[in-house]
Amino acid sequence: MKTLLVKTHEAWLATLMAALMSRTTENKRVLTEFSDILWRHFTWIEHDLIRRGIDYDYNRENIPIKVERLKVMLADVIRRLNDLEILLVRCEDTALKERIRTDLEYMRYALGKLEDEEVKAFDMNRRYRKIELDQEATDALTLFLFEESYKEYELIMIYNYLKAHSDDAFLNRIFQILIDESFFHLRSFGEMMAEMGILGVPRVIHESLYKVADIEKFLLDGIEEEIAAKEQCKELSDAVASKSDELAKFFDFINYQENYHIELMREAVAHFRAKRVDG
Amino acid sequence: MVVDRELVEHMSNPHNYGTLEDADAIGIGENPENGEKVIVYLKVEENEGAPRIAEIRFQAIACMTTVVAGSIITKEAEGVDFETGEELIAVTLGMLENYSPEEAACSEMVAVALKAAMDHYGLKKSEPERPAVSYKIEQSCVAEPTVNPLESEEQN
Repeated sequence: MKTLLVKTHEAWLATLMAALMSRTTENKRVLTEFSDILWRHFTWIEHDLIRRGIDYDYNRENIPIKVERLKVMLADVIRRLNDLEILLVRCEDTALKERIRTDLEYMRYALGKLEDEEVKAFDMNRRYRKIELDQEATDALTLFLFEESYKEYELIMIYNYLKAHSDDAFLNRIFQILIDESFFHLRSFGEMMAEMGILGVPRVIHESLYKVADIEKFLLDGIEEEIAAKEQCKELSDAVASKSDELAKFFDFINYQENYHIELMREAVAHFRAKRVDG
Repeated sequence: MVVDRELVEHMSNPHNYGTLEDADAIGIGENPENGEKVIVYLKVEENEGAPRIAEIRFQAIACMTTVVAGSIITKEAEGVDFETGEELIAVTLGMLENYSPEEAACSEMVAVALKAAMDHYGLKKSEPERPAVSYKIEQSCVAEPTVNPLESEEQN
C-alpha cells in the first residue's frame, strides 16, 4: 500500500503537469479533472494507511516531463495508471479498491482518445501573453514562479498531512481552505510557467517539513512566510506595473488572497492556544 | 541573479536532487540564521584506499538559489576522488566574496554539507554507527526584518 501511495502521488503530478502543458481546451479540461481524481485517490489511500497504523512519507521519484508532443506524456500517464492497477492488488479495502480500479479503467480509455498536440511548455521563450517585460522584470518573474510553485506544492502536502492526522474539525476546515487555495496558486503559476516555456515539476519535499512536531510554531513560521510572500508579490507587481497592468493586477490579486490565509492561520494559532489552556 | 537558459535548466531539473538508499555518508549544511538546510548523501567507492564519490544526491530545505548551487556543485563533485572534492570545496568557499550575500550563503551551505558528508565517511571508519555530520555556515544571508506574525500591521 505504501508503494501504491507513492505511485499515485507520482501519477497525480504527472497528470497535473500534462494538464498544464496542454494548450487545447478539451485536453486541458480532461487532464485537470483526472489529476484531481488522482489527488483524491492519494488522500483516500493515505487515510487507509493511517487507519491501519502504517507509517508512510511523501517521498517519490523525480518525474520526467520534458516532451515535444503531448502523446508522449499521455502514454507515460497511461503506463503509470497500468502500474497503479497492478499495485491495487494489495489494497484490502474492497470498496476503495473497486472505486480506484474502475476510475483507472475509464481514465486510461479517455486518455487514449485525447488528440495529440505540440508542447511548447519547455521552449524557454520566457514571454507571457505577448507582454513586453525588460530583462530584470522577466528574471524576477521567472525566479518568483519557480520559488512559489514549489512553495504552493509544499503547502498542499504539509496541510494535507496535518489534516490527515487531525480530528479537530475547526483546524481541518482551515487546513482544507489552505489546501484549496494552494491548488489554485499552483495551477495559476504552472499555467504561467508553461506559457513561458519553463514548466518544471516541484521538487520532492523533505519529511521534516510535514512531519511537524510543534504545529503552533509551524503556523507562526508560516504566517511570517506568508507576509514575506505578500512582500514578494507586491515587489513583483511594482516591477511589472509600468509594462503590464494585467500582470500587476494578477499579483495584487494573489497578494490580497494571502491576507485571508494569514488571518486563518492566526485563527488556527488562537484555537491551538485556547485548547491548550482548556487542557 | 542573471537568469539564463542554464540557470532555468538547474531550476526546472536540478542535477542529483533526491536521496540515496543506503548512503555511505550523510552531511548537513545549516544556516543558523533561518534554519535552512542542505543534506548531501554519498555513495563512496575506494580504490587502493583512496575514496571516490561514486554517487551523490542532495536535498534542500531552502530557497531556489540553494537548489541551483546544489545542482552545480554536486554535478562537479560526481565521480571525483575525495582530494578533488576537498579542492572543489576550497574553490567554492574562496569565491564566496564575489557573490551577493544570498548566493554566498546558499553556495556555502552546499559546500559545507559536502564537506560534512566526506568527513562523515572518514569518521564512520572508526565509528560505524556515527550519525550524520552537521556544519553551520558563516556567511549571513540577506537579513529580513523581524516581525511579530500575530501583531504586524498589514501593509497592502
